[in-house]
Amino acid sequence: MTDLSQRRHGLETLVGAHGDREQLSATVTLEIRAAVRQLNLRGDPGKAGLRTAAEEALGQALPVQPNATTAGPHTICWLGPDEWLVLSATPDAANVATALEQALSKHGAAVNDVSGGQVLLHLAGSGVRDLLAKGCTLDFHPRAFAPGACAQSGLAKANVLIRLDEDGEAFDVVVRRSFADYLLRWLRHAA
Amino acid sequence: MARQTNRLGSGGRIDRSRPLRFRFNGRDYGGYEGDTLASALLANGVRLVNRSFKLHRPRGIIGCGAEEPNAILQLGSGAGTLPNQRATQVSLYDGLEARSTRGWPSLRFDASSVNDLFGRVFSAGFYYKTFMFPQRWWDYYEAFIRRSAGLGVAPDRPDPDRYEHRNAHCDVLVVGAGPAGLMAALAAARSGARVILADQQREPGGSLVGSDLPIGGRPADEWIAAVVDELREFDDVRVLTHSIVFGYHDHNFVTIAQECGGDMRERLWRVRARQVVLAQGAFERPLAFCNNDRPGVMLASAVSAYIKRYAVCPGRRAVVFTNNDSAYQCALDLAHAGATVGALVDSRGSVSSELTDRVEAVGIPVLHGHIVTDVRGRLSVGGVRVARWNGDTDARADNSIDIRCDLLAVSGGWNPAVHLHSQAGGAIAWDERRHCFVPAESRQANRSAGSGNGRWSLADCLRDGRDAGVAAARSCGFDAAEPELPVVEERDETPLQPLWRVPAARDPDSCPKQFLDFQNDTCVADVRLAVREGYRNVEHVKRYTALGFGTDQGKLGNITGMAVLAETLGAPVASVGTTTFRPPFTPVSFGVCAGEGVGELYDPVRKTAIHEWHVSAGAAFENVGQWHRPWYFPRAGEDLNSAVARECLATRRSIGILDASTLGKIDVQGRDAVAFLERIYPHKVGRMAVGRCAYGLMLGEDGMVMDDGVMTRLGDRRYYLTTTTGGAARVLAWLESWLQTEWPDLEVYLTSLTDQLSTISVAGPNSRRLLEKLGCSIDLSREQFPFMSMRQADLAGLPVQLFRVSFSGELAFEINVDSAHALALWQTLMDAGREFEITPYGTETMHVLRAEKGFVIVGQDTDGSVTPIDLGLERMLAKDKDFLGKRSLARPDCVREGRKQLVGLLSADGRTVLREGAQLIEEPGAAHPVPMIGHVTSSYMSDCLGHPIALALVAGGRSRHGETIHASLGAGSIATVTIVPPVFYDPQNERQHD
Repeated sequence: MTDLSQRRHGLETLVGAHGDREQLSATVTLEIRAAVRQLNLRGDPGKAGLRTAAEEALGQALPVQPNATTAGPHTICWLGPDEWLVLSATPDAANVATALEQALSKHGAAVNDVSGGQVLLHLAGSGVRDLLAKGCTLDFHPRAFAPGACAQSGLAKANVLIRLDEDGEAFDVVVRRSFADYLLRWLRHAA
Repeated sequence: MARQTNRLGSGGRIDRSRPLRFRFNGRDYGGYEGDTLASALLANGVRLVNRSFKLHRPRGIIGCGAEEPNAILQLGSGAGTLPNQRATQVSLYDGLEARSTRGWPSLRFDASSVNDLFGRVFSAGFYYKTFMFPQRWWDYYEAFIRRSAGLGVAPDRPDPDRYEHRNAHCDVLVVGAGPAGLMAALAAARSGARVILADQQREPGGSLVGSDLPIGGRPADEWIAAVVDELREFDDVRVLTHSIVFGYHDHNFVTIAQECGGDMRERLWRVRARQVVLAQGAFERPLAFCNNDRPGVMLASAVSAYIKRYAVCPGRRAVVFTNNDSAYQCALDLAHAGATVGALVDSRGSVSSELTDRVEAVGIPVLHGHIVTDVRGRLSVGGVRVARWNGDTDARADNSIDIRCDLLAVSGGWNPAVHLHSQAGGAIAWDERRHCFVPAESRQANRSAGSGNGRWSLADCLRDGRDAGVAAARSCGFDAAEPELPVVEERDETPLQPLWRVPAARDPDSCPKQFLDFQNDTCVADVRLAVREGYRNVEHVKRYTALGFGTDQGKLGNITGMAVLAETLGAPVASVGTTTFRPPFTPVSFGVCAGEGVGELYDPVRKTAIHEWHVSAGAAFENVGQWHRPWYFPRAGEDLNSAVARECLATRRSIGILDASTLGKIDVQGRDAVAFLERIYPHKVGRMAVGRCAYGLMLGEDGMVMDDGVMTRLGDRRYYLTTTTGGAARVLAWLESWLQTEWPDLEVYLTSLTDQLSTISVAGPNSRRLLEKLGCSIDLSREQFPFMSMRQADLAGLPVQLFRVSFSGELAFEINVDSAHALALWQTLMDAGREFEITPYGTETMHVLRAEKGFVIVGQDTDGSVTPIDLGLERMLAKDKDFLGKRSLARPDCVREGRKQLVGLLSADGRTVLREGAQLIEEPGAAHPVPMIGHVTSSYMSDCLGHPIALALVAGGRSRHGETIHASLGAGSIATVTIVPPVFYDPQNERQHD
């Protein structure tokens, strides 16, 4: 039998020597957060009941402002007018997808667990903004990218979701699994 | 090592405590930290630095910046060698090696300088006139021209240096850190705006670097330092030195190349600025007199810069020739540096006495109303001929005065550097009063300031810069106050006298050469000849004479050339205009354009969740889109063919296992999922029962096959689609575009699961037994789990989706599993499959197996011009519904007889493997042109069948089964082939249905 708790983010050989936490440079640390559950949610927020049902199932509201996130039990990122990413590190995270799917089924929404398809990189330290600026055209100045903001963009040559945490200190970078190896190599090179 | 004979005992912005050694053309020299290669060469008395491009005339350093046309040198050797480097912009470093790019056998004696003796032959349009006829000789001409041409050699090995890219955003970007730029940056920074100040020099200050002019009651250097110190105090201000702004693109996107030093050679700044202040200054222009290209003829401002910045006095006996006030300062600088100034020759009849007195006070004779008409000396200046002049350009010069000198400093006035303003789309206008082109209306959010805006005096530059900085900050919404202007000395100005072509002792078409473009050896006479031959438009004259075509892009002589053209045409300069200014402002290296994107970072390599296993199993990989996929798994001693033969046979006999995770996977759900997919797919989607799979063709609006895959109905309103590996992103975008732009009324949501799900294909007669052995929660029998259906199941304790689909023609299961567990499941399957000799296979075996079954690969057997009918799949086209591409399939061309159709081909000799792409013909030996009736799309050796097989598209092929045609094997060799149905293996489909 396969041990279901042994999830792999696919970067084990790259981060092997360092564990899941790595000092990329004197001013940037990288952490791979494989335990965070990632749910993709699509649905019409204008529909009566959908937002309420989602809020009940998740315990927090869906952000409807572009490029905003909401914090609560989970972190919910706005990806588009009808698309969100729920990042969940709660103990019962594995059940959130089922609960959400059930709650939203009658509202025509689509829920997909994408935890296995995306890798969450947590970048912290004083040099993160400079590092991201080497590969991303977004403006990460505090005036332009506020704490809690998120945006989908390119980092080097990979598509990513970038989120600044509520303290305005550290960034989460979500990248598709198949690009993660490339992106980690780039981060190491650029840092 | 030579002594630095021209180095002054004190002064300059060099660090005398840090001596540096360098080599030029094989000789050792010394310089100091802070030198450029040009200043160090001049310090060592090196006059002759290169030969000119066409005439091989001896050339020396003229300028001190981006305008330099002659000192274009090759740096270093081997992998790190750099061609086309302007010595005036190369910072000297210890161990630097440089050499001239022309001059054979030596720079002093260049055999090709005979070109100069036949200069009349090498006139305007030389290339067009000489190398055109006879046309069949062009190949020889081209080889000759290429050997003669070029400004250096490219390295033949990978660049060992590092480069990087950096994105940046600001409110106000200030280009140029001279007096105007500093004031603009200061004004914007104090308002709270985010400011980037970029300057190409080693230190900020522009023309003021090394100057002793008082500003605000203190020496200029101190004022600069105070401003820069204040700027650096702001968190949101970035001061970039050694940084050339080379491109002004749309939407205020500006590119800057920064020289870094250390192991990072260059950095590309990609700046998005809300407002741009262009304060990049002006270029001094030369005057076109005879032999004005002799080494030792320099721009007056460059002479001053070498003296002040680098403590280098380029000559001992100088003459200054000018038509404006600015060169008077050069005369003073020369005198101060200890040089003898034989005369200051000013074309103007009268000049303000204040200015004249100051020069005469240090013992320099001033000749008003005189011109320098010719230069003596060949390898360097030996003296000048001076004539009295009354302002008549048609006059013949009398050359009454002869002055011995080794340096001639020239000023023909100033050209604002309008390059970036013009790149940004801004208009430029001829200023009748200042006799130069100045920036007119901007098209983007930019404004010009300082001498780049036609302001000559220091006071005007400071004010103009401050005003531009304030205006830029205010445009960004900042409440900018006006900083107080520092007090500077104001002087009377005598206007410049327009003078371009200087009259000579003979007529301008037969006098010694008066150079306009030093890089391309374009002279006054060439422009005049072009006009005589009928050229009028400045762009045509440029191309005919090569004026401004060099790597300096005419920064030195172009405007003078335009003025000579205007004079020859008898038209005002304004009506002649200028040629177009395009990026880059100065040449940029390929390295800085590539940045980090070289080697393994050149393009992302996408890897499946099982990739590590493939690597450790010794797989050979191939690129499929951005993916690295196992191509085949060679065992010891195997090549591609033997490995693929083994993999194919193992799959047909027992079990093969394939990592198919790169397939595109799309989840489709929503109220209108059925309605949506009915419009996309040609087959009846709604009729599919839940849990059933179907082969799905996707057609473009033109009716041609665009992509294919398997689609599965997961629920009433939910489907799961697969796409080709290469088509995944394109298909998702295509589906989204229909939903978002054409059918927004449909409630359907698409989610890519390509990375979420890994797909493992287990194929072969023993595959069912393997899954049963692992422990599967469902009945896998043919009856309970038939071909083309899907089940949710637990396999080896993992939740999976099982699909009974087959791309090999064998009994097969495709297993979708959460990618986080894919490697574990693969390993489990490999372990359990050992008793069945489970064999991993790659894309090559996959291709052979599917070709044996006649399954097409979109993009290999189709090319965007193939309909489903051409493939023999008309049964898939529903008659009683509409779908994308349906209407196009009724076009006359789609229903005509004789379209190319998919067939199989068998070689008559049973041995010959055809070439993919081979053209098919009816009969060998037919008269040319031989009609082509089709081509081979796939071809393999089938070890399972014991003979080669091929798929092909053949005109009317389906009605020609059994006929014999011929295939080209290349090099005149022809194979005889028989047309057969495209299914070679198990045509009754018994094995996959098992």
